[in-house]
Amino acid sequence: MPRAIVLRDGAAEHKVTVADDGTVSVDGGRPIRTLAGPAGEVRVDEPPRLAWTAAAGDTRWVFIDGEVFELEVQPEGRRRRAAGHQGSLSAPMPATVVRVEAAPGDIVRRGDALIILEAMKMELPVRSPADGTVKAVHCKAGDLVQAGVPLIEIE
Amino acid sequence: MSLRRLLIANRGEIAIRVVRACREMGIESVAVYSDADAEAPHVFAADRAVRIGPPAPADSYLSIPAVIDAARSTGSDAVHPGYGFLSENASFARACEEAGLVFVGPPADVIERMGSKIAARALMEAAQVPVVPGTVPADQSDAGVVAAARTIGYPVLVKASAGGGGKGMRVVRDDRSAPESIQAARREASAAFGDGTLYVERLIQRPRHVEIQVFGDAHGAVVHLFERECSIQRRHQKVVEESPSPGLSPAVRRAMGEAAVAAARAAGYRNAGTIEFLLEGEGDAARFYFLEMNTRLQVEHPVTEAVAGVDLVRAQLTVAAGGALPWTQDELSQRGHAIECRVYAEDPENGFLPQAGPLLLYREPQGPGIRVDSGVREGATVSVNYDPLLAKLTVTAESREAAIARARAALRSFPVLGIRTNIPFLIRLLDHEEVRAGRLQTGLIDQHLDELTARRETPAEAIAAAAVTRLRQHFDGQAQLHGGESPSGLVDPWTAIREWGR
Repeated sequence: MPRAIVLRDGAAEHKVTVADDGTVSVDGGRPIRTLAGPAGEVRVDEPPRLAWTAAAGDTRWVFIDGEVFELEVQPEGRRRRAAGHQGSLSAPMPATVVRVEAAPGDIVRRGDALIILEAMKMELPVRSPADGTVKAVHCKAGDLVQAGVPLIEIE
Repeated sequence: MSLRRLLIANRGEIAIRVVRACREMGIESVAVYSDADAEAPHVFAADRAVRIGPPAPADSYLSIPAVIDAARSTGSDAVHPGYGFLSENASFARACEEAGLVFVGPPADVIERMGSKIAARALMEAAQVPVVPGTVPADQSDAGVVAAARTIGYPVLVKASAGGGGKGMRVVRDDRSAPESIQAARREASAAFGDGTLYVERLIQRPRHVEIQVFGDAHGAVVHLFERECSIQRRHQKVVEESPSPGLSPAVRRAMGEAAVAAARAAGYRNAGTIEFLLEGEGDAARFYFLEMNTRLQVEHPVTEAVAGVDLVRAQLTVAAGGALPWTQDELSQRGHAIECRVYAEDPENGFLPQAGPLLLYREPQGPGIRVDSGVREGATVSVNYDPLLAKLTVTAESREAAIARARAALRSFPVLGIRTNIPFLIRLLDHEEVRAGRLQTGLIDQHLDELTARRETPAEAIAAAAVTRLRQHFDGQAQLHGGESPSGLVDPWTAIREWGR
């Protein structure tokens, strides 16, 4: 099934669709054939050449034609995150809350697991993106949460 | 005498370079490291490693007692200083001698003499090596320095008498702007070298920076290993070096080689050293002036190794052990063309600001005629504590044109992601018509800075590649982390969910 994502490049936003065969269209433009390898390399047409990619959080790094580009994945149903990773963390897709491991007032460190979600039979820790204090928790164990619903607020 | 165990008083790529020579020669290698480098590649490369202190260089790599203690405690019989840090510190060479350690470099008194611009200059004049007209004003007040500048004639270069590396260096074009520049130069000189004494010399217009590799042994032999063209600089720091130098006529090359040997002989030089010259003018009419002598192995030594077909570090260790130079002057020649590109963790689009952070992806190019000397690896974090040099790419080919093409292709296959590097800048530099034409001079980068550092439009192919990135990360922390995530092992759960939900 083709999927659509939004990638932000500075102030510009690009709507990107990816077909199952790896054909990509950027802002409705000409189809670009891609083949992603296991170690960050991506073959791109046309002309055929190799790009390398890496991910850190929502940031996608790309090295192509000797130039480096940094793009941000903009999740659907999620507002643009404020600078500095502050604010609320919301679920990008439906999931079940397994455990809540933080309470309002807790001081948390970057990387601390705050909430454990389960979806599609896998557990996922929701980790704090930065050092901060838990301002509010909007879910409890057993809740079924929808995409875009804030789960926890950190400041 | 032969060396048994060598302590390498350095870090990064040069420490690894020396380890490799040790391994070939059957010498045990000992690395030293600060707390910031406990997991650095050079620590793993050496046979042994000793902690010498906290991250601050003054408390570790620059601490003479800490390094000497490390050499003693490991039973080392020799010390290689690399470049930078303690490599041109006469007190360190002397401390090694006093501790019964062989210092891989020239004698301490030679380092001292050549480290002083005044003494080195006097020595060169006596040896009839041409020097740039200049002086250390006896009156070091602003007015005294201005008076000296007037006598020499504007424009002049005002710089620290005590050191090199471009620190404390200012161009002064007239009386009006002089005091401000003089004061700034004095401040920088004091901060960098603890000595604010200034030196004033005539500014050579559109100069080229060409240096000659020299080598002497304890038996009186001194040879030169031809030139390295180092004119492509930014703020007096070399960026790209090559050999042979384009446009250096055979007659001038020969004259420079002879002058460099004369200079090294006059200095009583032993081991590897470099005579730096400024070159003015073209062809056989070009004139060269002694700039300074570097009493150590240079960063750009691979260029000479490539065209002369020698191993300079191996020769350093041989000569330090009392052996004879492995080559006579007649046996040495230049073959083909070599270019070195220095890969720095810096952002050319933002004033070349040094970068620190994780190397999410780091892949070195391979192929015929490609050599990479590096001190980092994928998954490691580049720290702010030390020099931002990540790697040196040195290519060799039959001709200058072929070497440029090879360097360019290698850089385009040298992806470094997670922090900004100067790789895109290096490619643009190699593509620049002035560089292609060999019209090199030290102002080249500054004069073309805008086109060399302009931000590029993001091509659709880059966006497409970003969209299909296969995230090499697992979601439950238990599984093996393959890289692609931050090196601390943190995984953004939102990224993970999204990918997995595809």
